[in-house]
Amino acid sequence: MKSIGQSLPRVDARDKVTGAALYSGDLSMPGMLHMKTLFAGRPHARVVSMDTSAAEALPGVALVLTAKDVPVNEYGLQRKDQPALCGPAALTPGPSPKEPPKNGGGRERGVAGDIVRCEGDLVAAVVAETEAIAAQARGLIRVEYEDLPAVFDPVEAMQPGAPLLHPEFGDTNVCVLDKIRKGDVEAAFARADVIVEGEYRTPFQEHAYLQPEAGIAYLDEEGRIAVQCAGQWTHADRDGIAHALGLANEQVRVIYPAIGGAFGGREDLSVQIVLALAAMRLKRPVKIVWSRQESIVGHCKRHPMTLKTKWGATKDGKLLAAETTIIADGGAYLYTSNKVLGNCTITATGPYFIPNVKEDVYGVYTNNVPSAAFRGFGAPQALFMAESQMNKLAEKLGMDPVAFRHLNALRDGDTLNVGTPAPGPVSIVQCIEAARDRFHWDERRRTKDGGIRPSSFVRGRGFAAGFKNVGFSFGYQENSWARVEIHGKTGIEQVVVWHAGAEVGQGTHTVLAQFAAETVGVPFEKVTMVTSDSATMGNPGSASASRLTFMAGNAVKGAAEAALAKWKAGERPAIAEYTYLAPKTTPFDKETGHAMPNLSYAYVAQAVELELDLETGFIKILRVVSADDVGQAINPALVEGQIEGGVVQAAGYAITENFISKNGRILTDQLSTYLIPTVLDIPDAVESVIVEVAEPNGPYGARGLGELPLLPLAPAITAAIHDATGVWFDDFPLTPERVLRGLGKI
Amino acid sequence: MTTHTHPTLPEFDYIQPKTLAEASQFLAQHPDEARPFLGGTDVFVRMRDGFLTPKFLVDVKNLDGTNDLRFDPQAGLTLGAAVNMNRVIASPDVQEHYPLLAEACRLVASYQLRTRATVVGNICNASPAGDTIGACLALDGVLHVHGTGGLRREPLATFFLGPGKTTLKPGDIVTAVSFPVPPKGCAGAYLKLGRNKLSDLSLVGVTVLGSPDPGLPSRFRFRIVLASVAPVPLVAAQAEAVLAERAVAPESIRQAAQLASEASTPIDDVRASARYRKLMVRNLTEMALTEVWKKLQK
Repeated sequence: MKSIGQSLPRVDARDKVTGAALYSGDLSMPGMLHMKTLFAGRPHARVVSMDTSAAEALPGVALVLTAKDVPVNEYGLQRKDQPALCGPAALTPGPSPKEPPKNGGGRERGVAGDIVRCEGDLVAAVVAETEAIAAQARGLIRVEYEDLPAVFDPVEAMQPGAPLLHPEFGDTNVCVLDKIRKGDVEAAFARADVIVEGEYRTPFQEHAYLQPEAGIAYLDEEGRIAVQCAGQWTHADRDGIAHALGLANEQVRVIYPAIGGAFGGREDLSVQIVLALAAMRLKRPVKIVWSRQESIVGHCKRHPMTLKTKWGATKDGKLLAAETTIIADGGAYLYTSNKVLGNCTITATGPYFIPNVKEDVYGVYTNNVPSAAFRGFGAPQALFMAESQMNKLAEKLGMDPVAFRHLNALRDGDTLNVGTPAPGPVSIVQCIEAARDRFHWDERRRTKDGGIRPSSFVRGRGFAAGFKNVGFSFGYQENSWARVEIHGKTGIEQVVVWHAGAEVGQGTHTVLAQFAAETVGVPFEKVTMVTSDSATMGNPGSASASRLTFMAGNAVKGAAEAALAKWKAGERPAIAEYTYLAPKTTPFDKETGHAMPNLSYAYVAQAVELELDLETGFIKILRVVSADDVGQAINPALVEGQIEGGVVQAAGYAITENFISKNGRILTDQLSTYLIPTVLDIPDAVESVIVEVAEPNGPYGARGLGELPLLPLAPAITAAIHDATGVWFDDFPLTPERVLRGLGKI
Repeated sequence: MTTHTHPTLPEFDYIQPKTLAEASQFLAQHPDEARPFLGGTDVFVRMRDGFLTPKFLVDVKNLDGTNDLRFDPQAGLTLGAAVNMNRVIASPDVQEHYPLLAEACRLVASYQLRTRATVVGNICNASPAGDTIGACLALDGVLHVHGTGGLRREPLATFFLGPGKTTLKPGDIVTAVSFPVPPKGCAGAYLKLGRNKLSDLSLVGVTVLGSPDPGLPSRFRFRIVLASVAPVPLVAAQAEAVLAERAVAPESIRQAAQLASEASTPIDDVRASARYRKLMVRNLTEMALTEVWKKLQK
């Protein structure tokens, strides 16, 4: 009967395999209209005028939407700084009375709606009887722009006199600044026997989820505006749409169909607002499907960063100090940059105890595509720097890089850079040991690779580790709602779980069913999931920050316990709702960063073996061992799936995914120019080692997993390349060309 | 402006002529509106992306002989225009007598694509990146062209005029490509560099075909054709000449590779720089020549 820890079949597997599961683009309704959106296609401009008359006159066109049609023309998850449609409008929105103070940031006026700030800003949406007519009408829209000076480099954007993107938030493009001041770095460097300085650059990354943005909006049976569109957080989508439409949250309903991947890229809104607005105006269903090219131009990316740092250690290999400045390209709008950079700030010292730390982490507005959430949430960039520093320090000290990590790894009670210890058992030592032992690190390191054919191939091994907070936190009260119903007469016949958490492919609905089965004490097969409808369910919280198993698991467990108590008391059916509230956290102190920012962390270590062709610069990853502490594996097969998927995505980030943006225009806007790994490019072997050091606050001891396997791979790869060639690479992706350049062959 | 791709194909009329004459006539009558159509692996993508908007696609797959794959010990190999690449790869005659052609086909896109893609389509598309074109040139391919004036033969060597540009005129339909019996004792190699191992276009492709030739000073004849590094598939004539004149050895192979690199005129694009491509022409040519030379010595 035990469900936890079993590799039970996914609740959605049959429908997805047979094609019965409907994704956003599969949905259609009688009387449905079709929408096309028009991007600005320029990085910074004032929309002087728009002429939609020819488009409106085209037979079959039902509606052309522009800025003047949007009731409250602004949106944004953390700050409402983006117009839903850019263009001249009768009204410039001010801060809404509904808006919590944190979103407004004390601004006196709203975002200027007639300014385009990036290529992917929308300027119009056309609704027509057919997709072809909508596309034709879109081509008839005439927009007059006055181009404005633009800025694409965040360092330039920080200089006085740089073109200002958001004067409504003050006279600077700096939209985030996190500081850490712990101990005395100057004094510590003076004591240090070895010092390593480095400057690292990390690239944009495109989510490249299987399913481009798509959705359908309509009026439901109660007259609400219903939007079915893939997302990561039903209630946040709902609130964002309602705000722009000038409606109460409850007048909008968000339902998730099957979702083809998200990775953070669906946390912010894309097509939802214009879709909902069209349905509201026309009182007919309206559907949109973005092409891959529109998807790549139209949604956010992983932050590119420049990371300058200096680390010092004693000759015995104890870390003394780290001083770091990070500048992240936030793109044209804030999205979740503040949250991403919070995670970046805290992980920039790696999973190690460093007594003296100074950090300044900047997020800067530019006229590039907005940067936002992407699996790892700022930690992969920070860890590329931290782990590269660790590998270089180990080399300089003449120490084995794994032994050096082991020596400095965080132990229970050690303070993080925020001056407080990580809550819960700290398990980085267990992860390092597990990866080391499975890889047979000590033997592999000594292996001589004579006889590799062809002779232009060299081999190397590398190691890196990482950690990541579970949940948004940083003062945000983490929460998640669930409802559990127990049906039957004498015995329990069925358990129904209501939960709105987003099943983005990670398997959350299966895991939640396992929690319910375990807690109620019934076989897994007796659990039915009712999911992802904001109108019938409470707030689940987002499917991001590796948080859903933890938060939603606690919610379902709490609701199941309450329902079971009612069942035992004789209630038929026994129904209980429960909202889990996680332990409280605090935001960074503005000057020192001192905080208790998170309620839980998870840890990972990876070892890599690869082969490099010195003639062509191509890298082949032969083997990856990934040891991830998940606290308690709820479903080991799903854990392994997440680890393998995360490693593959990290390999793409590190090697093949070469995102090119020039003057704010994305040049790699198709999957034929932006290359994610194919089945023939992925590592020959990915070995998942599931580490289980229980988290006392987690449901049945679970931590979080989704982001872990992506975190340390890039620095492990550069360490392996150094092992093979003696050359450090401080930037990536490691395209063959970059590799040959680094080796001095080109 | 960003081209906003359409998730589905725009509308077009599908024309299925009964005879070659009918097909040629229709194509000649609609020079700007009609395109001949084989596997569609290129034309559909370009239509979806809005680069091509033909009013008519004229399907030539079921016309006289276009489905034939024939080998004759005297006349050589004839591949009908509609023969897909997986059929070419699977043909025992191709495997025995033209293994280089099978090798080149195997490196085109993915298995699924190759069930539709054809060698003749790859040729007519006239992309400098075409993976099978080098083998076809090295094997002295000749096109069978049906135009409004009837059938004619056209050697591949003079067929390519520029990216996407060939000597074909409105009304022309390539019905087949044929190859003479390859020189006795020949050996070949096709080395392709793509950014991934499946389905990427070649950044650089190098085809080498070598054969014993007692009439030459070196007693060996090499054909070297480069993909993706010039406006048309490029025959590296100077490199070939070096290996005809000088004894084949690591030094002359290196010199030939260097000459091939110098002959190439690649461009910078989002996939790679010209500089990298030029270097790769040298390295891959050296590798391919070495590989073929080893085979010839067996």
